[in-house]
Amino acid sequence: MTTATVASSQSERGPARRSRSALSLLAHQVRYEQLTFWRNPQNAIFTFVFPVVFVTIIGALFGGGGRSPYFGGLSPLQYYVSTIAALSVLGSCYGQLAVALAMRRQNGILKRVRATPLPAWAYFCGLLAHCVLVSLVDVTLIVGIGRIYGVPLPTHWLAIVVTLVLGAAAFCALGVAVASLISNAEAAPAVAQLVLFPLLFLSGTYMPIHSTMLNNIAGWLPVRPFNEALMGPLSEHAGADWKHLAVLAAWGCVGSVIAIRRFRWDPRPE
Amino acid sequence: MHALAVRGLRKSYGSVQAVRDVSFTVQPGEIVALLGPNGAGKTTTLEILEGFRTRDAGTAEVLGLDPGDRPSSRILRERTGLVLQDIAVEPYLTVRETIARDAGYYAAPRGIDATIGLVGLAGQERRKVRSLSGGQKRRLDLALGLIGNPELLFLDEPTTGFDPSARRDAWQLVRDLRAAGTTILLTTHDMEEAQALADRVVVLTGGLVAAEGPPSELGGRDTARARIVFALPAGYGPADLPLRARPDGGGQLVIETDAPTSVLQQLTTWAVERDLELAGLSIERPSLEDIYLQLTDDDAPSRKPEGSMR
Repeated sequence: MTTATVASSQSERGPARRSRSALSLLAHQVRYEQLTFWRNPQNAIFTFVFPVVFVTIIGALFGGGGRSPYFGGLSPLQYYVSTIAALSVLGSCYGQLAVALAMRRQNGILKRVRATPLPAWAYFCGLLAHCVLVSLVDVTLIVGIGRIYGVPLPTHWLAIVVTLVLGAAAFCALGVAVASLISNAEAAPAVAQLVLFPLLFLSGTYMPIHSTMLNNIAGWLPVRPFNEALMGPLSEHAGADWKHLAVLAAWGCVGSVIAIRRFRWDPRPE
Repeated sequence: MHALAVRGLRKSYGSVQAVRDVSFTVQPGEIVALLGPNGAGKTTTLEILEGFRTRDAGTAEVLGLDPGDRPSSRILRERTGLVLQDIAVEPYLTVRETIARDAGYYAAPRGIDATIGLVGLAGQERRKVRSLSGGQKRRLDLALGLIGNPELLFLDEPTTGFDPSARRDAWQLVRDLRAAGTTILLTTHDMEEAQALADRVVVLTGGLVAAEGPPSELGGRDTARARIVFALPAGYGPADLPLRARPDGGGQLVIETDAPTSVLQQLTTWAVERDLELAGLSIERPSLEDIYLQLTDDDAPSRKPEGSMR
């Protein structure tokens, strides 16, 4: 270790530079979240390969299928492009955060972050922005594959972006909430999936549900409203679906309250 | 003003009293070591000062601020650096990226490349963290503690996992930081480290301060009687000596004295006159370790820890 440079640094402690602006701090944070994310091959596989492969297989299976009442008047591929797009957002927001934060807490990375002057809001807004970006890439890929199989491109882009951002925010909040409730990082992936998997089936992600009762129940849970809200602008050329978005926002609030009350930076309990 | 001061600090986890009554101060520019066995309350004390834990009672002041006070915590984090016990770095970032990310959190950070050089990671900048050795990751951890150019540095067992030469380098770095005006509070259970680095040592045991002072004076080390140890050649016994010596039980003789210089002269004069060689002749003072073991002896009834807590 070189020693000569130590002495100079303290004397160079000039007048404190002004704290950087909130926006540049956020950009800094998002940049490093992105780097951390894209460098990890596991993330790439779980977040991208799975939905892309799924849509590709569905496309090969149903490629020529026309509109049918079974798929609510959509072609099978139109239906799956939007539910798998929703699934990819769930994976990159809820799934990613529940696991990554439990992991980061367990191995002390969160505690290290807490030891720096980085404000908590910057850390979480950075994560949210990062997850929204990953979701956008994911959805664009899936819509692109759908296009190759002949699914018409959506027209209400603004509605899609609004739905995606709101959905991503809500599922991020729920992901942080789950990470806050799990104390053992090894259990995080299992718990996160255990909650999600039945919900996906119930919400028509893998196949349309025609039971009115089930649909009514699922309508109050977080996944189906997001599926429905995304299906409108993505496949039916409709605008933003405010009713379903409101349910989603309510879940986002529930997640946020749990996250704010229960989130811990320290791996060991107080 | 003190750089750091705690008075009557207390902290329990459930029924386990981790910190029972700890008071000490650290002056600006000083290196103070918290020394003690596992469960003595070192890390808990440190974590209270770092703002990670609340305290049950007592006062704590770090750079004039209360570490338990939320509103001022950001100011404190700007001015303090810390190295935790566990290595906590993202595996897929490079060395430089890891340091650059944290540099962005501070208003007036140290230079990124200068910091990499300080901890001895020059030439490793582009390597992924996951490919570093344990000791290199620890240095990276140290770099993250230094990047904010802190006035006060907390080091929780900073050289665990270092090879002997890396440990020497780290000690030199700590001394250089002190020379540059940084105040340092470290925990260790390595006697040699405390001896090599600390201006003062605070020995904790069972959540209490057992002793405090410069390592050379701790527990009366400097004034303790010297022990002159030697062996007599065959055919000679203690009765032949001009001084009173007692067997130490290991085949050697011991003379305890407050005046080792003159006693040694008497002894060696006696031996030289008879053309004898005294095998294993040495003068010993109680080592820091002797004093430490004495102080942290679990059998001492008043200091028995009530439970084990890191």
